[in-house]
This record gives sequence, structure tokens and C-alpha cells, in this order.
Amino acid sequence: MGDYAIYITLEIFQYLFILYSVAAIASYLVLSVVSAIETIEYKRKNSYVNYKEIMSSNNSPTISIIAPAYNESLNIVENVRSLLSNHYVNYDVIIVNDGSKDDSLEKLIEVYHLVEVDYLINEQIPTKPLRKGIYKSTNPAFEKLIIVDKENGGKADALNMGLNISNSEYVACIDVDCLLLEDSLQKMVKPFLEVTDRKVIAAGGVIRISNSCIVKEGKLHDVNFPKKLLEQGQILEYIRAFLLGRMAWSRLNGLLVISGAFGLFDKKIAIKVGGYDKDTVGEDMELVVRMRGYMEEQKRTYKVAYIPDPLCWTEAPDSYKIFISQRNRWTRGTIETLKKHRKIGFNPKYNVLGLISYPYWFFFERLAPIVEFVGIIYFAVLIATNKIRWDYAFGFIILAYLFTVIFSLIAIITEELTYHQYKKKGTGIHLITIAFLEPFVNHPFVLYAAIRGNIDYYFNKKKKWGEMTRKGMKKA
Amino acid sequence: MNSYQYLIDYLNNSPLIIELVWSISSVFFIILITLIIYLKYLRGSLRKKERLTAAYEKEYESNLINYLYSGNEVDEISLEQQAIIDQFNEDSKDPFKRKILISVLVKLKNEISGDIADSVQKLYFQTELVHYALSRLSHKKWYVIAKGIRELKKFHVKEAYKEVLIHINHPRREVRKEMQLYMVDLFYFEGLDFLNLLETQLSEWDQIQLLGILQKLENQDIPNIKSWLNSSNDSVIIFALKLAKTYNQFEAKDEITILLNHSTKKIRLETIDVLSYLNVLEAKEILKADIENRSHEEQIAFFKMMENLYESKDESFLVKYVHNEIFEIKVSALKIIKALNKDKFNNLIAESSDSQFLRIANFVEKN
Repeated sequence: MGDYAIYITLEIFQYLFILYSVAAIASYLVLSVVSAIETIEYKRKNSYVNYKEIMSSNNSPTISIIAPAYNESLNIVENVRSLLSNHYVNYDVIIVNDGSKDDSLEKLIEVYHLVEVDYLINEQIPTKPLRKGIYKSTNPAFEKLIIVDKENGGKADALNMGLNISNSEYVACIDVDCLLLEDSLQKMVKPFLEVTDRKVIAAGGVIRISNSCIVKEGKLHDVNFPKKLLEQGQILEYIRAFLLGRMAWSRLNGLLVISGAFGLFDKKIAIKVGGYDKDTVGEDMELVVRMRGYMEEQKRTYKVAYIPDPLCWTEAPDSYKIFISQRNRWTRGTIETLKKHRKIGFNPKYNVLGLISYPYWFFFERLAPIVEFVGIIYFAVLIATNKIRWDYAFGFIILAYLFTVIFSLIAIITEELTYHQYKKKGTGIHLITIAFLEPFVNHPFVLYAAIRGNIDYYFNKKKKWGEMTRKGMKKA
Repeated sequence: MNSYQYLIDYLNNSPLIIELVWSISSVFFIILITLIIYLKYLRGSLRKKERLTAAYEKEYESNLINYLYSGNEVDEISLEQQAIIDQFNEDSKDPFKRKILISVLVKLKNEISGDIADSVQKLYFQTELVHYALSRLSHKKWYVIAKGIRELKKFHVKEAYKEVLIHINHPRREVRKEMQLYMVDLFYFEGLDFLNLLETQLSEWDQIQLLGILQKLENQDIPNIKSWLNSSNDSVIIFALKLAKTYNQFEAKDEITILLNHSTKKIRLETIDVLSYLNVLEAKEILKADIENRSHEEQIAFFKMMENLYESKDESFLVKYVHNEIFEIKVSALKIIKALNKDKFNNLIAESSDSQFLRIANFVEKN
């Protein structure tokens, strides 16, 4: 009887795994098709748009770039210069120095000729108080720059301070080390201005990896493919996630995440919902879910837009330690957000958000590492109890592996057909090679980090942001 | 042969799911090889296309320079010029080459002016490229139509007015946008007549682009915007309000003032902004009378207007708002009171113990 029960349990597990795998593969295929439709449409719509007319017009709306900085002394001066080089007319740059212990502020004061100014803050969202105050430049060349020095309160708190300080209609929340292309703001603001039948509440951009790229005077000068497999694997991951995944969710108006590295928000709505949540490490996803939830509750038609153009380049972890720490945080952020907004999940009142986006995220992002981990244990049990049929197992492993590589190759082909960023001869073979290697050089660490993230979430509540050491981009 | 037979026997003796797994794996393997070959081909062809494009661009630029400088005073078209036209005509039959040729012409046209620009324009007609653009206007695909209109706009083909105007209410906003830009770029303010026929919404993006073109013009007669201020299309009204502000259309103030009670909040907000800019005092009194019944945004916009249009008689009205719950209103009210009556302003500070109020008042006092 005991053996029979074990047999039945194993059988049930087996069929659950097959069902889950088929559902995941089917969802990826559907997303790929939807993404292809959306990509073609986007390219057709935007292939002949003249952005120069918008960026030089005084009638264009105001945008504040908000960039929190914590101990960024190494690159802060260059990073600010890059942010100030945008071609948009009506924008300012708000750097929130979040209680840095290094000499970031002193460097900025010296290079940008800053002086403390009297500034009336509309404290709509509670934040940690100012430390030294607010600074502006005496040099008219840097008139768009505002530096806020405040007590340390974390990234979300710093962004909230930026929301309070901003006088603009839209806010672009970015990581200070991100390199924005010169036309990034006009491309990001376009959906807010052109959609007339519903309210665009936020827009997310593609994040590209800048490791090994050459930067000259705060601008991207030369795109290179990095040598380290870990970095190459992340490039592939990003291409897959941004060009296939998010593009499809954009078409379905079901985007749940706008990367914290670069996103544009309707300031009024961001403030109305209370700004960034300081109690989560996934504040970027949480804000989007909350804004969407608010719009659904108000029964207002809305859209979260997505811009697939490569507008923002950022440094990715180049060591496994930092990589694991980053993915651990992403996992905890996802768990926290989904838990906080569980009333949305499977709730028809929230339409696409409740019935498609949330369930998808729950099953295929939140549960995926757990299912995979349980699958590995199940596999180990079968081996240990000598119940494995190696020829069958081998068949399933080959099938999963081939699908993964095909999916990556489709993502690479999409990249080539659309933005073709990695033009150099020889990069093609590297891209194909990493499509084969990524399941071995990146994925096991992603899984490990996700499991650690789950453990940390439930058993180590004190853990907040991990460490991210910056090396800085290569300068020409 | 034995291995093959073994494989067949193995599959035949396996459960259905295993048969399926191996069959799908085989299909995936073929797909994978195909994708790798395609990817290699694609990268190669993209590089080749880039090389070809650069080569053709160079060739066309060189031919174009020859064309522009090989004319003579005797013939309208010299023999050398005719040879270049014939060459361009031949090449324009190939869509790839035509695309490059047009981009070279557009690039040159944007960089030059005067007689040489006219010559490029003339060449566009001589090479019959214009016919390709015109034929695009009746295409069933929206993006082909949009590109056609755009090209006609760039080469100032005014003769296509009627064919372009047909697309005024095209279901795709991209086509509508190109139609609007064509009208305004080629016919200036007269081109705005399309607003009378527009049934769809003019997006903010479109409005900014149209204003951008109009603001580059000098010495043009501004049309009468009154009919647009009465339009049944909300976006046309908003655009007309922007025109009123940009071109100081004070004579339309009565029509604009009526819009303070329009059913659409966005129009009411834009109206307050324009009336404030035009310094229309009557509007201030109208708003003062019913400000409590208006939305928060309108109240904030009204107090911004008050900063421009305040009078000493407004003081008692303003004092009621210095403790208003809306931050912007408090700031505006205090700023105006400070300007009107400094003693009153000081008294308000002395009487208050509200820390937020004092923070704002201190800021206003110093700035």
C-alpha cells in the first residue's frame, strides 16, 4: 500500500510538471507571436517620425529626470553630464543624494558650481528630511540641474523626494549610472501625447547592457559585445525579456513592470497613489501595479506604454556574487508586490490586470523557480530510488534545452531585424554560442538566487538591497 | 540500417508521450539548424545592405552634384543632365535604389536653399519619382499612404492637395498626422482649414508639431480662429486656444471666455490659462464668482491667473484662501497678499502657528 501511495504521488507530480511545462511553453509561444505583431506595428508607426520637431518645441510638456544616488562618487560627475546632454527642451535633472557617505556632493558642488538655494517643497509624499539642502548651479550651462541632499532613506524614499521637488508634468525615474540616449525623452513622452482615447499613466523603455561599450563625453560611442560569459548571458536575457516578453505585454496592455533603470510616469497619478513604496525592494514593479490598480478602481481607461528602442544603457553585474544578489532582490520584490496586491489577482474587477497579467506573473515568474527546484528534488528522488528511466529523462531534457535555445535564437533574430545593435563581424557567432551556453552559465545562478530570495523573504526579513559595485563604463 | 531499425523499434515500443517528445525534439532540432543558418544569412545580408546603401548614396550624391553644376545657359536641360535623369529614372524602378535616391534628395534639400533647392525639386519631377509617391496615396496599406504623403510634403508637391485631403479622417492616426503636416507645411495657416472637417481627435503630439511648423513662419496672416473655438471637436477647440495664446488673439476673448463653462474640464483649464495670458480681467471676475464649484485643477489654474491679474479689491477674497488645503493655492494667495499689502502678510504670519503655513510664508517672504 505504501509503495502504491508513493507511486501515485510520483505519477501526480510527473503529470503536474508536464502540465506546467506545456503551459509555460505555450505562453512563451503566444507571447512571441504577439510580440512579433507589436514589433512590426511599432516599427511601421515610428520609422518616419520626426522627433526633432518635438524636442525643439516650447509647447512640449515638462519632464523631470529623477536620479537617486548613494555613494556614487566614482562616476557621479560623468553620469550627471550624460543626463544633462539630452536634446529635449523642457526638462530638468533632479539628483537626489540619498545620504551618501562618500564625497559625491562635494564633487558635484565643485564641478557644477553649485550653491545652496531656497526651495519650496510640496511635501505630498512623506520622506526623510533634507540633510544639507537643495543646490543649483550658478553657471547657466547647468541651469537644468537640481541637486537634493537628504538623509538616507533608500531608493524609494529618494525617488519620492524627487517627486515632491519636481514641478513637471512627467517624471523620468532612472538609475543615476544609466546612460540615456539624446532622444530618449521625446521617444518616451510620445505615447503620453499621442494617445487620445485613454490615459497613458507610465511608459517603460528597453534597458541595454553597456558592459564593454565605449562612452565618450557622456554619450554612447561604440557598442561592443562583452567577453565574459556572464555578461553575454545577461545581454541575451535582456533581449529576450525586453524584445519578446514586454513587447507582447505592451500589446495586451498588461505590463506589470517598468524597469527602475528607466521609466516615465504621469506625476499626478504617481503622487495620487502615494509614490514609491519604501517597504519593498521591488519598488519599480510595485508602483506600476498600484497605479494600474488605482486606474481600474477609478474605472478609467488607461495604458502602460512600452518603447522598444534602445534608449537606456546600464552596467550589468560582472561577477556572480553581485549577479546573485541582484536576482535575489528581484525575486523578493516580485513576491512582495504580488503579496501586497493579492486582491487584484484572479479578480475580474481588474480586467486584464487581474485575469491575465497577475496570474501569469504569479504562475510563471513567482512560482517558476519553486517548480523548477521541486522538479530537481523530484528528479533526485527518482535517481535515488532507482525509478528513473534515463532514456525518457534524456528525451525531456533534450526537448526543454532545444526549446530554450530556439527561443533565444528567435529573440536574437528579432534584435537583428529591428535594432541590430551588435553589428561587428564575429558577434553573430558569439550570440549563437551564448544561446547554447546561457542555460548553463546563467540559469543555474538565476535559480539559486531566486531560491535564496524566497528563503530570505520568509526567514530573513531584515535583508534589503544587495550591494552593486560600479566599475564605470569604458571611456574613449 | 540496424541503428535506424533499433530507433524505430524503440519509438514503437515507447509510450505515446515519449514518442511525442522525441518527435517534437527532432522538429525542434531542424528548426534550430534552420534558425542558425537564417541568422548567419541575416547578419550577412544586413551588412551587405549597409555596404550597398553606402555605395549607392555616394554614387547618387556625386551624380546629383554633377547634375546641379552641369547646366548651361542654352538648354533647359543639358545633355549631361539628361543622362543623369535617365540614370535616376532607370534606378528608381528598383524600390531599394529608389528609397536611397529619395533619401539622398531629401538630405540635400534639407541642407541647401535658393536656386539649388529648386533644382533638386525640379529633378524630383523630372525623374518621375513624384508618380511613385502619388500612386502610394491610393494604396490599401496605411503605412504606404503615410510614407507617400510624407514624401510629397518634403518635395512640396502642392498639386496633390485633393488626394491628400481625402485622408483627413483616415482610421489610422499616423496617416491623419501626415495629412495634417502636409497641409500646414505647404499651405501654412490656410492649410488649417482641415480643422473644419476633422472628425477625429487631434492629439497633443500632433498639435505640438503643427504649432512648431507655424511658429517658424514669418509675416503670415493669422486666420480667424473663432469658428474653431465653437467646434464640436474638443481637440480642435484646445488647438484653437493654443493658437490664441501663441498669436495673442485678444479679439477672440469673448468666444474664449464662453469656454470657461465648457463641459470638458481640459478645455476649461486651457481656457483659464489662455485668458490669464491675455490678461482678460472679466474672466477673473467670472471665475471668482463660482470658484468653489470648480475642480481642484481649475482652482489652482485660477489662482495662477490671479498672480497675473490681481487688484487691491481682491485682498479679502484672497485672505480666505491662505489656509486652503491645496498647497499651490496657499502659495499663490500668500504671494499676492504679500504684493498687495505687506502688513497684512506679516499679520498672517504672526497669527499662525501652523508649521506648513509658516514654511510657505517664510519662503514667500524671502523670494
